Amino acid sequence: MPKHILRLLVLIAGLAGFGLVAKAYFTADSFYQYGHYRGDSIKQIAAREPAYQTPRYCVACHGERHAQWSANSHKSVICEVCHGAAEGHPQNGKLPVPHDTARLCSLCHEAMPGRPRTQPQVEIALHASRQQCVVCHNPHAPKIAMGVAKVAGDPVEGKKRGVAACASCHGELGLSPNDTWPNLAGQHPAYLQRMLAAYKSGAQQDVMMSPLSEALSDADIANLASYYGSLRCRTAAARSNAGNAVAGKALSRNCAVCHGDTGLTANAAWPRLAGQKLTYLVNALKAFRAGLRKDPMMAGVTRGLSDTDIANLAAYYAEQSCEPTVQARSR
Amino acid sequence: MPAVLDLAPYAGWVYPNETIIEWSVLIAVYPYITGLVAGAFTVSSLYQVFDMHRFKPVAHLALLTSLSFMLFVPLPLLLHLGHPERALNVMLTPHLTSAMAIFGYIATFYLGLLMLEGWFAFRPYIVEQAQQRSGPLGAFYRALTLGSHDVSGNAMHYDRKWIFALAVIGIPAAHGLHGYVGFIFGSLKSREWWSSDLMPLVFLFSAIISGVALVIAIYVGSCRLRRTPVDLDCLKGLACTLWGFIMVVIVLEGLEFANIVYKAREGIEAIIQYVTGPLLIPYFIIQFAIGAATPLLILTFLIWRGITGRALVAGVTVSASLVLISVMMMRWNVVIGGQEISKTGKGLLTYQMLIWGREGAITAAVLVFAPLAVLYGLVRLFPPSERWEAREDADTQVVGAAPEIASQPA
Amino acid sequence: MEPKNKKPPSQDRREFLSGVARVAATTTAVLGGAALGALARVEAKADMPKQAVAEDSYDPSKHRWGFGVDATKCIGCLRCVEACKRENDVPQDAHHFRTWVERYVYLEGEEHARIDSQQDPVNIEASGSEREYRFANRYKGMKVEKAFFVPKLCNHCTHPACVQVCPVGATYKTADGAVLIDHDYCIGCRYCVQACPYGARFFNEEKQVTDKCTWCYHRITKGLQPACVEVCPVSARVFGDLGDRESPISLFIRNNRVQVLKPETGNAPNVFYVGIDKEVS
Repeated sequence: MPKHILRLLVLIAGLAGFGLVAKAYFTADSFYQYGHYRGDSIKQIAAREPAYQTPRYCVACHGERHAQWSANSHKSVICEVCHGAAEGHPQNGKLPVPHDTARLCSLCHEAMPGRPRTQPQVEIALHASRQQCVVCHNPHAPKIAMGVAKVAGDPVEGKKRGVAACASCHGELGLSPNDTWPNLAGQHPAYLQRMLAAYKSGAQQDVMMSPLSEALSDADIANLASYYGSLRCRTAAARSNAGNAVAGKALSRNCAVCHGDTGLTANAAWPRLAGQKLTYLVNALKAFRAGLRKDPMMAGVTRGLSDTDIANLAAYYAEQSCEPTVQARSR
Repeated sequence: MPAVLDLAPYAGWVYPNETIIEWSVLIAVYPYITGLVAGAFTVSSLYQVFDMHRFKPVAHLALLTSLSFMLFVPLPLLLHLGHPERALNVMLTPHLTSAMAIFGYIATFYLGLLMLEGWFAFRPYIVEQAQQRSGPLGAFYRALTLGSHDVSGNAMHYDRKWIFALAVIGIPAAHGLHGYVGFIFGSLKSREWWSSDLMPLVFLFSAIISGVALVIAIYVGSCRLRRTPVDLDCLKGLACTLWGFIMVVIVLEGLEFANIVYKAREGIEAIIQYVTGPLLIPYFIIQFAIGAATPLLILTFLIWRGITGRALVAGVTVSASLVLISVMMMRWNVVIGGQEISKTGKGLLTYQMLIWGREGAITAAVLVFAPLAVLYGLVRLFPPSERWEAREDADTQVVGAAPEIASQPA
Repeated sequence: MEPKNKKPPSQDRREFLSGVARVAATTTAVLGGAALGALARVEAKADMPKQAVAEDSYDPSKHRWGFGVDATKCIGCLRCVEACKRENDVPQDAHHFRTWVERYVYLEGEEHARIDSQQDPVNIEASGSEREYRFANRYKGMKVEKAFFVPKLCNHCTHPACVQVCPVGATYKTADGAVLIDHDYCIGCRYCVQACPYGARFFNEEKQVTDKCTWCYHRITKGLQPACVEVCPVSARVFGDLGDRESPISLFIRNNRVQVLKPETGNAPNVFYVGIDKEVS
């Protein structure tokens, strides 16, 4: 065979050999382990950390809220649907509380062709116009108990009882003489009824209110609630320097979803705050924060408030006008 | 940083993930270039294997054309890949259930085969240049000789055997190299426009006509540049080859389209709407009418009337150019067209080709025309055989007429 | 004619022998290298450890995952679409989805459904951005005869076309039935994107590899459910072990007339649908 053919064959064999060796060397070690792919890939994919933690994770710290949520109709909507994935929480801070609930809730509840009839859905424009959903609906217990609206009490009887039992602290006309005890005039009857019932049953505890409420009958409670709810509210006259109302206004954005922009809310489930006594508000917020006053929603929203924040918020609400004829209704 | 997304506007219903057309114009250029390689090699093998001596004037040129385009074959793919640095994965762990996996080895093998056949074909010239030239070019030729300057009768005998063997292996290799591209499209179940048993054949035969047309165009062009007369017998042979294969292409492509329309499977409305709308001009006018039917008529006329001389050269060159355009259009219509018809069968998208960018029109044009520049260089390094064959040893045959005399067709 | 280079016989023999020696040496080197390479591979195959995952407790061969979709329940809230994007770092735009929801609406007098999904500009406008998703209430006030929502995702087929066409082995089917993509091996050719008849795969321009739903493999191997199943408020998505007779998916299949998408492709999908319609494919 001619020289050049021989050399050519050697060259080809050499290149082929080099290629085979390179192939064996560069092929990933775990390849062919389970099939025609890199075995390590499975481990790598499975090692990723989950973002959504599921309510099992939330219940550890948010027990009360979890209990309320899981006992009501939104129990099929996990916490992270509205609050975002809990990965990195609480190390990275709070999870967002949705503000534009009208936008969020309508994702599921806007009446739309294609949605099964079993899904609760409303024509947004006819249902709530531009109001935020949480004005009326507690997202963790969304079904509204219609009983909240009406309190079947007799204001006349309530006045008799109130003048005797309550006026010494809360004032003749439901306007408290000092800053510590709250005004009751013009407050939602249903809220007053709920609070009195809570004090009576022991669900809420207060060194003064508890024994007083235990002495009341259910009829008394209804009457008192109707009476005080019918009274005319008046804003506290003096502006206190105890807090920065401007800063408070900025903070109140989070509260407005339930309590209204200026503390006037149409929903009887939550108390009106406008014109309420400043020190009372401060004490109440601190009590919620400490868990001494029990409310899952209030506990959550006060958890991150500092004493300064609380003072500012109280100052803001205290100076709001509570007279409905003067103030625009909260949206 | 995410790349610019060229979102495809659409009408009707398409899957959300379809709104970005993934295979760009480069994926249409790839089968085009590979087709030119396969077709040019087929021309070369008409002389090397089937002993058709009328094709001797273009045999070496066709081989060098095939080689210069083959060098560019991996480029459109590398430019398209998300991770070109991992491209060799296809050589390390080819997944043999995938038609695409075979590319790595077949392309390497075929490139080697082309280089080898070219080496054997030009060996006498290489040896001569190694002995005569100095400087870097001389070193280049000397390296190519592999240290052996043996051009004796015995050596040439071996060389001829190798050339023949390589050409014989090269035919199925070239057709495999291009046929698998057709199978890549034809084997998919997801797109009605692609899914067809005929796809490998359609690609293959249109590749052959594109290669023959390319050789014609380059041969005529190079004769012009060298100021030598065109070998009319050779040109007529090429014209007949082109003519025959165009007919096969028209039949196959027509059959494929007819099948789709006749079977009228789900999604046919979208296909008909597409073909009679956005694809009307590219498909019926350019690919079929101008690009296939017209050259066929021209060539029929030329052959039937026995036209010769300058008219023959002009007619055949025009036909060849039209065929080159038509085959590019066919690749476009298959690759881009297939993606413009949604997998839902209920929608159409529009591919918006970028001008600049890694997968833009300019890149595509460069990839198609740059091989011509390489070919020019290769021809300078390895000139046509009539220049040096006369100087070969006496015991090797000098085939074909001297360049100055243009032969008359029989 | 006499050959030019005639050598003395001894010289000829020497050259021949040296040539043979050279060829032999090279051949040995080549074969030896190949043998070493082959041996290494054989060793790896012989060990054949069980498919293990990060946690030692998970054994893929003990599970056979399946997915169910109840299109009669879906309300089109798209929480699943957003949750999937959050869970899996899917590109935040309206053109890359691991899962999506389609809406089918038949208006009175029309034979064919009007179909739209998250990439529709009308829906993008309703949500205000491409990062958040909602269906626009575009048929309000029209006479709608029939309408429903269909969630879609990768079907994790038993005979996946995408796995078949991958040229390098970057996508594969695991022993527990998930079809996954190796992002460190994928070369980004996008053949799999073309091959999938369901449009489930997409190309991630940032990572320059293809991607698709993994059934949240990183969750299911830890005893969790895929994110989309977890967040669905109406239980329209069902997931579980087909090997367990009492798993949600086994019950789903047993208690319903289920069907799959595009059965004629032969891919044998593992996502089972209830309540879809002639136009859904």
